[in-house]
Amino acid sequence: MAFSISPTWGLRPNLPKTGGMDFKPPKGSRHVLENGLVVYLLKDNTLPVAHVTAIVKTGKIYDTKEKIGLGEFAVGLLKDGGTVKYKSDDIDKTLEFLGASIEPSIAAEEARVNMFALKKDLDKVLDIYASVLMEPAFEDDKTAIKKAEALEMIRRRNDDPAREAQREAVRHFYGADHPYGWRTELTTVEPLTKDDLKAYHANYFRPNNIILAAAGDFGSEEAFLTKLKEKFGGWAKGDVKLPVIPPVKIDEKRQVYLIDRDISQTSLVMLLKGVKRHDPLEFPLFITNEILGGGSSSRLYTEIRSRMGLAYVVYSYFAKRPDYGFINAYCGTKPETYSQALSEMLRQFELIKTKPVPADEIKRAKDSVINSFVFRFATPFDLISERALYEHYAYAPDYLDTYVENMAKVDQKAVLETAQKMYKPADAQIFVLGNSKKFDKPLSTFGEVIEVKED
Amino acid sequence: MRSTALLPLMVMMCAPLYGAATATPAEKLGAVIEKDPKYPPVVSYTLKNGLRLLILEKKFVPTVSFTMIFNVGNVDGEPGKTGLAHLMEHMAFKGTKTINSTGFEKEKLALAKVEDAAKAMIAEESKPSPDPAKLDKLRKKLDAEEKEADKYAVKDEYWKIYNELGESGMNAMTSTDYTGYVVSLPSNRLEAWMIIESDRFKNAVLREFYRERSVVMEERRMGESDPNRLMWLTLFTNAFAAHPYHNPTIGWMDDLKRLTRSDAEQFFKTFYAPNNATLSVVGDVKPEEVIKLAEKYFASWTKQPLPQREYTKEPPQKSEKRVSVFFSAKPTLRMGFHNPGYGSPDIYALTMLSEILSGGKTSRFYRNIVEGKQLALYVNAYPSIPGDRYPSLFVVVAAPKAPHTSEEVEDAIMAEIARLRTEPPTQWEMEKVLNNYEAALIGQLESNPGLGMSLANNQQIHGDWKFDWNLTDELRKLKPEDISRVAAEYLTRDNKTVVFLREPEASAAPAASGAKGEKK
Repeated sequence: MAFSISPTWGLRPNLPKTGGMDFKPPKGSRHVLENGLVVYLLKDNTLPVAHVTAIVKTGKIYDTKEKIGLGEFAVGLLKDGGTVKYKSDDIDKTLEFLGASIEPSIAAEEARVNMFALKKDLDKVLDIYASVLMEPAFEDDKTAIKKAEALEMIRRRNDDPAREAQREAVRHFYGADHPYGWRTELTTVEPLTKDDLKAYHANYFRPNNIILAAAGDFGSEEAFLTKLKEKFGGWAKGDVKLPVIPPVKIDEKRQVYLIDRDISQTSLVMLLKGVKRHDPLEFPLFITNEILGGGSSSRLYTEIRSRMGLAYVVYSYFAKRPDYGFINAYCGTKPETYSQALSEMLRQFELIKTKPVPADEIKRAKDSVINSFVFRFATPFDLISERALYEHYAYAPDYLDTYVENMAKVDQKAVLETAQKMYKPADAQIFVLGNSKKFDKPLSTFGEVIEVKED
Repeated sequence: MRSTALLPLMVMMCAPLYGAATATPAEKLGAVIEKDPKYPPVVSYTLKNGLRLLILEKKFVPTVSFTMIFNVGNVDGEPGKTGLAHLMEHMAFKGTKTINSTGFEKEKLALAKVEDAAKAMIAEESKPSPDPAKLDKLRKKLDAEEKEADKYAVKDEYWKIYNELGESGMNAMTSTDYTGYVVSLPSNRLEAWMIIESDRFKNAVLREFYRERSVVMEERRMGESDPNRLMWLTLFTNAFAAHPYHNPTIGWMDDLKRLTRSDAEQFFKTFYAPNNATLSVVGDVKPEEVIKLAEKYFASWTKQPLPQREYTKEPPQKSEKRVSVFFSAKPTLRMGFHNPGYGSPDIYALTMLSEILSGGKTSRFYRNIVEGKQLALYVNAYPSIPGDRYPSLFVVVAAPKAPHTSEEVEDAIMAEIARLRTEPPTQWEMEKVLNNYEAALIGQLESNPGLGMSLANNQQIHGDWKFDWNLTDELRKLKPEDISRVAAEYLTRDNKTVVFLREPEASAAPAASGAKGEKK
């Protein structure tokens, strides 16, 4: 895979002209075991360490409505609940004594089990790792502790108002009943049983549902592949039942929500319908977003933070989902200036779709994205994980190879058309968490307000 | 007690020329290369003006990470001007005489007018009873002068240049001890970085000061709205009565309201000197290139005499301080015990103690309080917060699990600490900690920005980039009874400040809904 970093012209005259770069990162290798386990490997002998990650095709959106939080609960117990071969306390003692780690986690559309070990401990840790993936035991006492932890985290979910605002905004955007808007509740987690955990694991943790990626000082990729075959070769493939996610229903009309809370800083969250994951519009949308609110020389930052001094945190981004994702703009400001900040956010969304963005601004956004592309591959493990992740998310095999090219194609016309298509500030959902007694203007200025009670 | 985790030699991609008959290009320029295979082959070089360079060549992808650390933090501020170090860090992104300016000669005059208008406004604001009409007029005048001055500014040009270059992770941070500036770039930007950054620190212009001051006030409000930050701030302001670690790095709001651009310029002149800085450069670069370019661009940065850094020593506390913070969130607690600082060998035993107590799930706190008695969601210990330059705090952070209370968790924590007297750490517990440090020493070599920060920070604040290795060596010398001793000596009631987060008394927030038989 080769890409070139574009030469930088048009900088201030006293900076040296730097040519393009022709960087070909190592490929690593891809293998598929007989049972369907996909393996990406990249040998790197720089340091005597090994990193492995398993990307599992599951995720929080695939829970069922009655059992929201099951995936998180089960994944959290893969290691902590012990395995058939290794008791949980023995796993902790072994890993912690060696300075090694095995850490599972789950997100909306993936679960991960990450492993780190020094080269000298690789075999020992890999054996535990394989056992964690294939045969978790969900020990009763550890399960009870994990559950108590999960319930406590639910009680604490409104402790940090800025995070609460973002979560509730997305929840209201998709609706509390749609998987993209779900939230764990005491009632969905408390009743979960060991049978639920086992059934979850049996369904999703199949070799044909997992992509493994590893980088480090293996000796050779062949040697490590042999080790993996030894560990995982006997793991039976199986049918995976992946729930069908109903189509999203997004009300594309102005909706204003308020959580009234006596807090020093008001959180403002604007949400708009976004794109589906593989929509090629993502390229011009990325550049457009970069210009609008993607960094420290974006319009939102430059205006609302630098010029007006109204915020420390202000940005925009977009999230991809299999169905429509969302475009998100956030700003934190004191209640006495919330309406200035919010008005400016709306104005900037309007401006970028009305007046063509000047060529130099577009060039800068493109340069920023293209010239920093190399940082996706900063370490061997970053590189091989990237490849594996793109396969997990069903991107075309040449997606990373053509990424820079696709970004380079974006022009003024594409930016304008994309902004016109996607940015509809008049129809945005506006979610506000703040002290309405100190608002400089009534929130109803922006639309009919629905007050939300914290729960 | 020796660690049994014998490490192979760390072989870096760039083959170091150990024991070579001819000097390397960098050595010919006067640099020193670390030759002991226990350490990465860092190249050290100091310019005549005192700027220290630490360079490590690493090849995987063609990128390079820069970290510039200044030995100045909030602790070095004057009374009444807390928050200045941090605000100055913000100002360092506002350009120079050439960057962010259409013409500094004219801009200078406009900025002087802004300064006069601001001082007049601040003077009125600071009166016991400001005249509202006069104040409004002064605010409008400041606003008008700022708009005038803006005409000479090229908005955010400094950021824009870096965006085009393809920066990654460009940022800065201020602690009570130090101020750091970081960025990673494609490696063929080495000279560009040298040009821009030398200009930045030689010729900084603190434009848009009062706007940025408002941004920092918002940053402060963000902290006021976050129970976690509030707890830290409360702990430090209460634990330290006399020493300036007492002051919040973000600054008191009242101080922020009265800070002026003149204050920041004075601070910049005093502390932003080459002899007060260490620069680390880690990545796909040749050390001799870095040295040549640093000489070319940074040599004219003038050395400054630096002020003495003797501040009022915190006297022995000889009391227990108990504080409640009222905030609408679930209970948490923070405990701080004064430590003797890095001038005392006891700091190493305290470091080991923090790991014995909370390093992983096999640690004492986790096994007995999170599991075991199941009182807490988490209990974590840290040996030296908020800073390392002066005696600081050994801190324990915890949150109870309903239906248990913070007080129960506090009691359990003190009981665990007391238990160390009769049950000192085992060989296994100590060796575990050492193995983790050894693994971390290797792990930290993977990331360019992470390693860059570690090298520069350790050199500038601890006086030695090998600090992390030295620390591990010191830990290895410890005996179990050392740990018991420091626990008994330092983690005592008369050395303790404990802060509890509690719901405001008038209205408790509603518990999460849908509870099935949950106790309130």
